[in-house]
This record gives sequence, structure tokens and C-alpha cells, in this order.
Amino acid sequence: MKRRKTPLAAALAGIALFSMTAASALAQDYYAGKTITVVVPFSQGGATYVSAKFLEPFLEKHIPGNPDIEVVDRPGGGSILGANWFAQNGKPDGMTILFTTSSTANPYVLGKKEVEYDLAKMRVAYSHPFGAVAYVSPDTGIAKPEDILNAKKPLIYGGIAAAASDLPGLLSFEVLKLDIKSVLGFPGRGPIRLAFERGETNLDYQFTPVYLTQVKQLIDAGKAIPLWSGGSVSADGSVTERDPVNKDVPSVYEVYKTLYNEEPSGQAWDAFQAIAAVTYTFGLTGYMPEGTPDDVVAIFDKAIADINADPEFQTASMEVTGGAKLVPGSVAEPLIKKALQPSPELKKYLIDLLTSKYDVKF
Amino acid sequence: MFEDAAVALEILFQPMRLLALFSGMVAGMVFGMLPGLGGVAAVSILLPFIYLMDSFSGLALLLGAISVVYTADTITSVLIGAPGSPASAPTAIEGHALAKQGEAARALGVGFLASMVGGILGAIILLVAIPVAGPIVLSLGTPELFMFAVVGLYFAASMVSQNRIKGLAAACFGLLLGVVGPAPAAADFRFTFGQAYLLDGFSLTIVALGLFGIAEVIAMLASGGGISADRVALTHWGAGFSDFWRRRWLVLRSAIIGVFGGFVPAVGASASTWIAYAHSMRSAKDKSRFGHGEIRGIAAAEGANNATIISDLVPTLLFSVPGGPAAAIFLGALYSFGYYPGPRMVNENPDLMFLIVWSVALTSVVGAMVCFAITPLIARLTQIRFALIAAPLLLVMIVGAYQATNTIGDISMLITLGAIGWMMKHAGWPRAPVLVGYVLATPMEQYFWLTTQLHGWSWLSRPGVLIIAAIIVVPLIVGLYRRWRDGRGDILPVIEEEGLSLQAVSVAHVERKWVELVLAALIVLAFVYAFYEMLGFAAVSRLMPTMAIVPGLAFSVFVLIGRIRRMFDPEKTAAGEAFNEPVFLFALIGYGVLVWAIGFNIATVILLAWMLFYCAGMKAVTGIAYGALIFAGIHGLMVLMKIQPPLGVLLAIV
Repeated sequence: MKRRKTPLAAALAGIALFSMTAASALAQDYYAGKTITVVVPFSQGGATYVSAKFLEPFLEKHIPGNPDIEVVDRPGGGSILGANWFAQNGKPDGMTILFTTSSTANPYVLGKKEVEYDLAKMRVAYSHPFGAVAYVSPDTGIAKPEDILNAKKPLIYGGIAAAASDLPGLLSFEVLKLDIKSVLGFPGRGPIRLAFERGETNLDYQFTPVYLTQVKQLIDAGKAIPLWSGGSVSADGSVTERDPVNKDVPSVYEVYKTLYNEEPSGQAWDAFQAIAAVTYTFGLTGYMPEGTPDDVVAIFDKAIADINADPEFQTASMEVTGGAKLVPGSVAEPLIKKALQPSPELKKYLIDLLTSKYDVKF
Repeated sequence: MFEDAAVALEILFQPMRLLALFSGMVAGMVFGMLPGLGGVAAVSILLPFIYLMDSFSGLALLLGAISVVYTADTITSVLIGAPGSPASAPTAIEGHALAKQGEAARALGVGFLASMVGGILGAIILLVAIPVAGPIVLSLGTPELFMFAVVGLYFAASMVSQNRIKGLAAACFGLLLGVVGPAPAAADFRFTFGQAYLLDGFSLTIVALGLFGIAEVIAMLASGGGISADRVALTHWGAGFSDFWRRRWLVLRSAIIGVFGGFVPAVGASASTWIAYAHSMRSAKDKSRFGHGEIRGIAAAEGANNATIISDLVPTLLFSVPGGPAAAIFLGALYSFGYYPGPRMVNENPDLMFLIVWSVALTSVVGAMVCFAITPLIARLTQIRFALIAAPLLLVMIVGAYQATNTIGDISMLITLGAIGWMMKHAGWPRAPVLVGYVLATPMEQYFWLTTQLHGWSWLSRPGVLIIAAIIVVPLIVGLYRRWRDGRGDILPVIEEEGLSLQAVSVAHVERKWVELVLAALIVLAFVYAFYEMLGFAAVSRLMPTMAIVPGLAFSVFVLIGRIRRMFDPEKTAAGEAFNEPVFLFALIGYGVLVWAIGFNIATVILLAWMLFYCAGMKAVTGIAYGALIFAGIHGLMVLMKIQPPLGVLLAIV
């Protein structure tokens, strides 16, 4: 198999080398004997909490001084309460981290009135990709992604809420100009998958860990056809790369090019890229309060490079996420900041789409 | 298969794992008994510890806790009358009534044994999960889930009320509480008053504690004496055993109903327990004791709720879709040990499957035995002056509520709902329908919306829907036919005449007309305001609120008018003894304000001083020692749960 090095991976390697020399001098004892509190704004047992616990031993092992990592859950308001709390209580000393998903980022991008945190001003300690793959039921007559425009029966997509983690999926339908009936209001991704298995819906998106452990079985049994992944951010910030974990599935970008023989462009495409970046490529991100010094970010950069190189982490991550690697803050931060601050026109496009098509109120 | 079972038993019977299993069991029992801290709290507190163990021990620790919570909370429901969840409400109604008649031992004995049967049946269902349960879970589509919720609510609303109109109004009020927060269909946030706190709606713990727990604590503080005038006698365990044996088939049928409840995500135990309770009433020849301490009601409810919490694990293990909140945390634990539940895991890790089955079965049996053993000790607590027990109990409830979001909103919500629950208790409004309506509002709305979106109207003819609907419709028709045959003109179903009421037992002698008036007026106002705000919602978000508000408004206006008319009827006002409970309610509200203003620690010291010296009349030295013990205990609990007590806003400004 040909291993193409993505621009992002190249950038990572460069940064890792650089930060190793920069950070090593000051870092040794900054965290010795300290406790880092990782605030998860969701319930215990949820995917984000489990991911935070998954990373905990590796951070403890590789951050110089071997600090204690304590994962604390602060659920409520679809993550907004926990993030608000963090904005008010976190100090810029690298001792508290907000570990969260696009459920925190999307309301910020959309400017919801309950949001009291300024995510774009926060520092990024590390980030972990959280890709998603779309798949369809074979009884729609679809056998490969290009068939999507010629389905034999109406396509029904099951989702939770338009303005939250379903947003990039719905935007991908806009980019590909698909006519899909979206039934939103499911209580969770698991019940959506069950509804797909029962034949109540026939098009679904699942995040990578679930895709690998649950949906792959359906595909092997001939009960589901993989379509595309959301893709991944390249070094220039566009979402044109394949998902590094699901390399055998084309990206939305590729499917568009095959269907329409042109590069995607326009507001739908720009909106998709911004939202896909914070949902997929930087799906799980550890934020530190505004004003956290560069030195602290550099300590994390070095630790993340060490974790990625740790064979124990590689084995564990292969099992859980198909081998996804952590992205250091210095790489992720500029790209996340860009995605979090879309142009006013783009914001208007998103708000108009959500209001007119999905009855969301602002 | 037998080989796997033997291997799993061997795995489990290593000293460290057995220790983990039974430690989990003890934690589950303690949290099951503490009002408001049920299975979810037990499992979340244990969660950090599993990461220190190997995977089998860690999972055994959680399973130990999950399996006994509904067994142990029988003790609290029976002795104090404060159920931890809607699924324990029937036990509280019947069991607490029996306890007041000196029959606590019978109630508890039947409750423990029925719980045990429910747990064992749940374990057997897990064992045959792949061939039998899997297809059943997949055959239950969204229309069936919706119908299950409807049936559960119907029974809860129609059964526990002396006054059916109040019961229905209470159920509507519960639905109204349930629709606060995000609308499932169109990202509308309803009745949030711009508060981020209300974005997720109310927490179950707080609603359950507020409606039942606070009112009971106030009664304890006010009485100064005992829960019952007589001491809770625990003499006839033998009667409990023979009662259980006579009801064994009822218990088994109820456990089967409970198993189906577990297959239905989100609806679960709240509905299945009430369906089982209704079944116990239907199948009884003499219905007169229901509501006044009927052992059959306990047998059915306990058989069902424990079976549900275990069979919640079936969708969890087969499809990675948790059947309930405790199962959701268990699923997270499986993930973190690298197990990804699904049909594949069940085949690939048969040892794990059997480990789960053995753990559940073993703790169900041992847990019931331990409950028998410790109940005399617990019952001795009820002989202490209740004002003394009320102090730690109240603080545990506050910590339990505060763990929901760790904000002052939790405490103010608890006290607000506590005031409503207290008024309902004294105004003769049943509280169980509020709780069940609140729990089922979200799944009902969600599944109704999804059902109509996915199936149009064709869902009405699905066989599963028709079968579940038959649970309501057939007995109604049979009842009507009997009445018609017997030549009676009355067309209302049988249940109403039997007059069930939680209040019939607890406050039969006090009808507090002012409380009734204020409560009815407040609820009418709440419905009127809700109606006004609802007009601004998107059409799809209006459906469920309408179903709660329109009938709710009509019923509550009816209750209010009836109350006002009787205001001028001097003969009907009860004379009664001095009614000092409002003082205690206002003191509690004052405590809430103090916590907000000067923080948890100082306010709590003041509250403890007031409860121990004023209410309980303790001597200085013992009072201070006891108070310090409670204060330290509460802080220990908060450290364990990683909760930081609220700091006062006034102090923060200074």
C-alpha cells in the first residue's frame, strides 16, 4: 500500500522536531507534583469522557514532571454549561483544560445567546481527530458513492439536532446537492443506528470509533454500503484530504469532483469546510484559557509528539480509533481559530440555512 | 456454552474480583438506600475506581452496584416513603402504607424476594440474549417505543388518584415539567426563561427528590417524633416469605413485563413498573387495599423494576445502545476497557458475557440476603427521633441534587419543586403521575415525532402497536361490557371506584384548604403562562406542550373552581391539630437563599444548628458533636463525588 504523506503530517513532523528543542529546557519541573484538571462538559460514560480517560495515562506518562491528570465531568446545556464554567473559572496556568467537541464549537460559531465563552481566544493544548463516515442501505439501489443521485427510493437521514453535531453531515448534503429527507430529533447516535438496522432510515453518518466497531460488521454482512467520509483538513485549511483513519473511503470533496467534474466552491462548500474542521479533524480538542503562555503550549507540543511515537499508544489507538494520531496545539490552533471565526457572510448563510430548512431559532 | 459458563465462573471466583463485585454491591446498596442517589450516582462514583483494576474486576464492580440498587431502595421506599425514581413509586405507596400499619417486615420481605426474582430473570434473559432478545429489540421500532410510553403514562395517571381529575391534572403538570428544555424536533428551547440552567430541562434526581423527599423531610422535622406514630416493627419475616410464595406467579409475570421495559431505551422502568402494578391490580379480586398497603402491588413493582435495570443491559451489549442511564455509564466502561459491544462481542468474548450474567445473578441473590440482614439495623434508625434523621437526610438530598450540574440552580430547583411537592401532598394531589409524566414526556414526544416522520400514519396498523394498545383498550372494553351486562349506567372503568391515593394514607385527616387553594391557583397560572409562551413555538415544538397544557388547564381550573366553591362551606373545613409545617418549608427556602448569598458551608452550619437545637432539641455538647459529624460526612461525600460546594455571591463580591 502506498503511504502518501499528507501535508498536515509533514507539518506535524516539522513542529515536533522544532518543539523538542524549544521546550525541553524550561519544561522539566513545571508540572512536577501538580494536578491537571481536564474538564469534560458531558456526562461520564459518554464518548468524550471515555476519550479523555483514554488519553489520561499517556499524558501523565509523557508530560515532563508526570503530573496527575484528573478528568472531571460537568455536563449540562449540551456542553454549554461546562464550557461557560470553564471560561469563568479556568486560569491561564496550564492546570485546567477543557476537553470538548463540536457541540461546544458550533453554538459558538453560530453565536447562540447562551454562549459565554470565547473559544477562538483560547489556546489549544492538543486535538484528536473524530472523523465520520456516511453509509447507505443497499435496498436504495445504491452500490457506490456515485450512485447517490440515482437512488431508487427516497433517502431518509436520521439525526439528533441540526445546529449541533449533525451540522457537517447536513452541510455535506448541501455541498453534494442531494435531496434527502432529514428526520431530526433522535435521542442519540446509537438509536439512529438501530433505526437504520430496522429499516426506518436508510442513510446514516457514524463517528469513526462506532463506524469501525459497529458499522463495519453491517458492511461485511452486506447490510450497508459505505459512501464517503467527511474528509480531513490539509495544511492550507481546506477540507480536501481523505480521513487518515478511513483511507479506503473517498472524501466529500472527491465525491463532488466525480459527480460534477469540477472543484467544489461557493458558500455551501465554505460552510462545510469550517464546520467539518471543528467537527472531524479537530473533533476532540483540549482548550486552555485565554492567555496561557506559549511555554505551556510548547510543553504540550512536545508531550503530544512523544505520545504519538509511543508504541503503546499506537497499539491502543489502532484498536480504538483505527490509529488516529494526536495533533499538537501549535498545528491545530491556527486552523481551529480560522474555522471558529467564519466571515459574516458565511455565518449568515449558516443561520439562514438552519432557520429556513431546519426550523432552528436564534 | 457450558464450558464458557464454567470458565467465566472461574474468572469471577478469584478473590480480587469477588471483592470488587461485593464492594460494588455494597456501594449500590448504600446509594440505593440514600434518597435521590440511585444507580446512576452509584455507578458514577465507582467509575474512577474501575480504572485501577483489570477489566473483569472493574466491570464486576459496576455490575455489583447496578444489580442491587432497586433491591436496596425498597428499604427507603417502605420505611420513609420517598421513592428514588418513578419505578419505585408504587413500592413507596403500598409499602409505606404497610409500614405505618406495622407490617414493614412483610412489605420488605416481599420486596426483596421479588427484586431477587427480577434480577435472576434479567440474568437469564442476558444469557439467551443473542438468539431470543436480539430479534425482539430489533422488532421494536419507534412506533412501538411510543406506544409503550403512552401505556405507562396512562396507568400512572389513572391509577393513583382518589380524585381522578387531580390525577390527570398532575400527569399533565408532569408532562409540562418534562417539556422544559430542548424540543426534539426543531431545536427550540422551551420554557427556559433565558437560563442556561434550563437548557437541558430538569434533572430526574431533582424532580424525584423535590416532589417526594423534601415533603417527607419537612414532615419529619415538624413531627419531631416518628415516621409512624408506632414504631416500625419487624416481626413477621415469615409472613413475608409466605406472601411472596403465594404471589410467585405474579412476581414472575411482572418480571417478564420488566424485561420488556429494559428493551425499550429511555422509556424503561418508569413505564414497565406501572404496567406491572396495573397488572397486579387487574388480576386481583379484591382491589380495596390498593393504595392502603397492598402486598401484591409491591410484589409486582419490585419484580418489574429490577428486571428492567438488568435487561437494560441487553440493548447495551447487543447494539451498544444503552437501555438506561446506569447502563450508559456501564457502556462507557466497556469502551474504556476496549470492549465494543455488539453481536460480534457476544460471540468473541463469551467469557465476558457469562461473567456479566454470573455477576448479576450472584449479586441479586446475595444482595437480597444482605438486605434481609441489615433491615433490622435500618429499622432501628426509624426509632430515633425523626428530627435527628432529617438533618443528614436533607443534606444528602441537597448533595444528590447538586451533583446534577454543580450550580446553585440545582439547589433552588430542589427547593422550588420541594415546595410544590409539599403543597401537593397536603392538597391531596397525587405526586406519582407528575414524576411519571415528567420522565415520559421526552420519549413520548421524541418517538411520536419520529414515528409520524418515518411512517406517516401507517404506524397505527403495525402489529406491535396494536398489541401494546390492546393493553389499555381490551380491559376497558371488557369493563364496559361487564357494566353493560350488569345493567349499570356507569361507563367509567373499574379502577376509579377503588380510590387509590398516596394521600389517602398519609394525610387523610388533614385537608388544608389554603394549601389546596394556593396550589390549584399556582398550577392554573403555570398552565396559562405556558399556553401564552407556547404560542411562540415552531409548530412541531408545540404538539407535546399542547397535549399537556390544554387538558391540564381544563382539569386544574376544574379543581380550582371546586376548591373555591367549598371555601364558603364552613362545615367541611377540617379542624385538625396545629399545622406547623409551613414554618419548616419557609425555613428551607431561607436556607436556599442563604446558600446563594453566603455559600454552602456557613448556611449549612446555620441550618444544622436550627435543625438539631431547635427542631430536635438536642443538648449543646451532643448537638455540636452530631452536627460536626454530619458536616464532615457531607464534605466526605462531596470529595468522593468531586463536587465543590457553592460559594456565596455576597462573599464573592467581598
